[in-house]
Amino acid sequence: MALPLKYNLRNLVVRKGSTLATAFTIGLTVAVFLLVMALARGIDQTLSSSGEPLNVIVLREGSTAELNSSVTREQFNDLMYLDGVVREGDQPLATGEMITLIYKPRKGMTQGSNVTIRGVGPMSLKLHSGFQTVAGRSFQPGLTEAVVSKRIAERFQGLDVGDKFRIQTTDYTVVGLFDSGGKAFESEIWVDANSLSSTTQNPTFSSVLLRARDESALSALTKRITDDPKLHLKALSERTFYEDQQGVASGALKGLAVFISFIMAVGAGFAGMNTMYASVARRTKEIGTLRVLGFSRSSILIAFLLESVGVALIGAALGILLTLPLNFVSTGTSNWATFSEIAFNFRVTPDLMISALIFGAIIGFIGSLLPSIRASRFRIVEALRA
Amino acid sequence: MRFAKLILKNVLRNKRRTLLTISSLVVSLFLIISLATILTEFERGSQEANPLRLMTRHSVALTFLLPIADVQRIEAIPGVRKVMPFTWFGGIYKDEKNFFGNFAVDAKKMREIYPELKMSDSEWQAFMADRQGAMVGRKLVKLYGFAPGQRITLKSPIYNKDVEFIVRGVYTGSDEKTLYFHHDYLNELAPEWARDKAGMFSALATSPDDVPRISQAVDSMFVNTDAPTKTESEREFAQSFEAMSGGVKQFLYGIMAAITFSLVLVMGNTMAMTVRERTKEVGTLKAIGFKRPTIAALFVGEAILLAIIGAAIGIGGAMLLFRSVDMSLYIPGFFVSFIPETETLLAAFVLSILVGIVSVVYSTYRVTGLTIAEALRSTE
Repeated sequence: MALPLKYNLRNLVVRKGSTLATAFTIGLTVAVFLLVMALARGIDQTLSSSGEPLNVIVLREGSTAELNSSVTREQFNDLMYLDGVVREGDQPLATGEMITLIYKPRKGMTQGSNVTIRGVGPMSLKLHSGFQTVAGRSFQPGLTEAVVSKRIAERFQGLDVGDKFRIQTTDYTVVGLFDSGGKAFESEIWVDANSLSSTTQNPTFSSVLLRARDESALSALTKRITDDPKLHLKALSERTFYEDQQGVASGALKGLAVFISFIMAVGAGFAGMNTMYASVARRTKEIGTLRVLGFSRSSILIAFLLESVGVALIGAALGILLTLPLNFVSTGTSNWATFSEIAFNFRVTPDLMISALIFGAIIGFIGSLLPSIRASRFRIVEALRA
Repeated sequence: MRFAKLILKNVLRNKRRTLLTISSLVVSLFLIISLATILTEFERGSQEANPLRLMTRHSVALTFLLPIADVQRIEAIPGVRKVMPFTWFGGIYKDEKNFFGNFAVDAKKMREIYPELKMSDSEWQAFMADRQGAMVGRKLVKLYGFAPGQRITLKSPIYNKDVEFIVRGVYTGSDEKTLYFHHDYLNELAPEWARDKAGMFSALATSPDDVPRISQAVDSMFVNTDAPTKTESEREFAQSFEAMSGGVKQFLYGIMAAITFSLVLVMGNTMAMTVRERTKEVGTLKAIGFKRPTIAALFVGEAILLAIIGAAIGIGGAMLLFRSVDMSLYIPGFFVSFIPETETLLAAFVLSILVGIVSVVYSTYRVTGLTIAEALRSTE
């Protein structure tokens, strides 16, 4: 026969100080776990949402990022007329883009980071969906004007509408702010590719984007370009390209999350054990009485385990509540592969919350296992005499 | 001290509880020390910067190169002892996971500009004499087994080249996870856009007082050229890299605060149980004439003793682990060492004692404030 849950509930209320302290300890552990995982998740989501399923990105053979890649204008002209590239009227849906960096101080600091500048062509907006001007206007092709992602403008000095920044010896005027639905482009400044190439006196593109007609055209195109011995280029789906970049930063964060939360969980487990041992000791007589009333050893074991798992779950829920306000808060760090800023949001997703609850429950279960076994092993006579 | 024995007896009264509390304290302190060490290691570059050195880079961003010819012009500035090109090669050894820095430098000036890198005279000579030669840090030898005379190939995505080097020396001191090679060699095989260009310049001043003036002189010299420069002391340069990580610092502080707070809860909860269980004893002690401060001191002393034991094991353990195992070999990225600072360890010790005191204050105040009758009547 199982003990009524009311028994556990009342016990928790009677010792509310202790219950709260234990719950909070587990809650903090869960919150730290969630916080770090939410950062990793934010980076993952930003990058995995950035590639369009049917886009092919072409880079120089051997390059690891757009920043160290180059594709000549002649190569671009050959690429855009390849079979399998979608046409918009008689124009192929293809664009050459170029990347450069500019060092900007963060707001309220003297130091900053490198912000990516992307020179884009007339087809770029059709190839990157979700681009939206949220303030000002878009840049005029041929002029030295720029649009800045809203998130970058919020985080760095001198990048608001009307501000000017300098690349080499040319001043660019910020004419608008944009957002791109959470994609990696929200870490960037966009300018006209032709203006940028005359500023940097470098006509070559960093990368070329092509829109494939369908899945099979996409794989045919990537194979055709990569295998061409004369081109010395590599092509891959844009989605794969961005997903491959997740590795370093989010991997390091996940490692950190596991390390920190494991140690904190051990600490919280010890603390929970302490509380439960004290609680078992104080309730020895009570346990004896319950046994006399006919409750079995196993129902006492289950009651005590349930009680601690319940406390742990309350704690985990508190931990989730603590981290929820951070959901969608924007932050940024350096992408160490290219030394450039990536902006992203904390993402406390439902599956992370479920992992957090399970994590909390496991701490509660393991922490209370030994004290609960001890409680169930009392001999009736001795327990009553305690 | 009269009560030391009593405090010790009290600590040992519930051995299991003491053990669990101390264990919890130990793991939390270990974690705090580890995180604090990440922070201090993160800033090691700027902390240990040579006050005589300056770094010059393109004022727009690192991706733009500077003409090597600038070296002579900078060297002519009064107060400048030596200048050399210093270019990030970005070479990868076999796999992207094997990350370490590799720079092209002027082999002849290296020893003077970077005196903290130590090699034997014969190694310096061998390095300078071989155009294809490279000097590698001691930790790279540990990690990849590089040996003098060995040929190693680095693949640079920036220069789109596989380049072979011959290890000519193993240096110790400072950042031991870097490879340096001849800038002349890089220039020979660089593609046209990078020919006769350098990523950065590293300059050595005669006196630290000259450094601010030199940095201004360099930047104003090139302000109206195609390649305007930004020159900083090595410390500022390192700080600008450290600042790139954005909120990492605050983030780690936040986590450390959360751990500390949970530690206060853990200790507070345990000490509250301990103190409350002894309510009757407090009544007895009071009845035989002990005053409230003395009884309170017993409890606070007990908490401090627990804190000291926990701190000793946690700090000792962290020290032992990080001194005997060099974590920087296993943590990917920029960490050149992973050794807790003495200040970190001291701070952890103070923190532990503070946590101990804070955790016991409230319950002690409550229980020792009871009258003899109330305390004796307690059912705890």
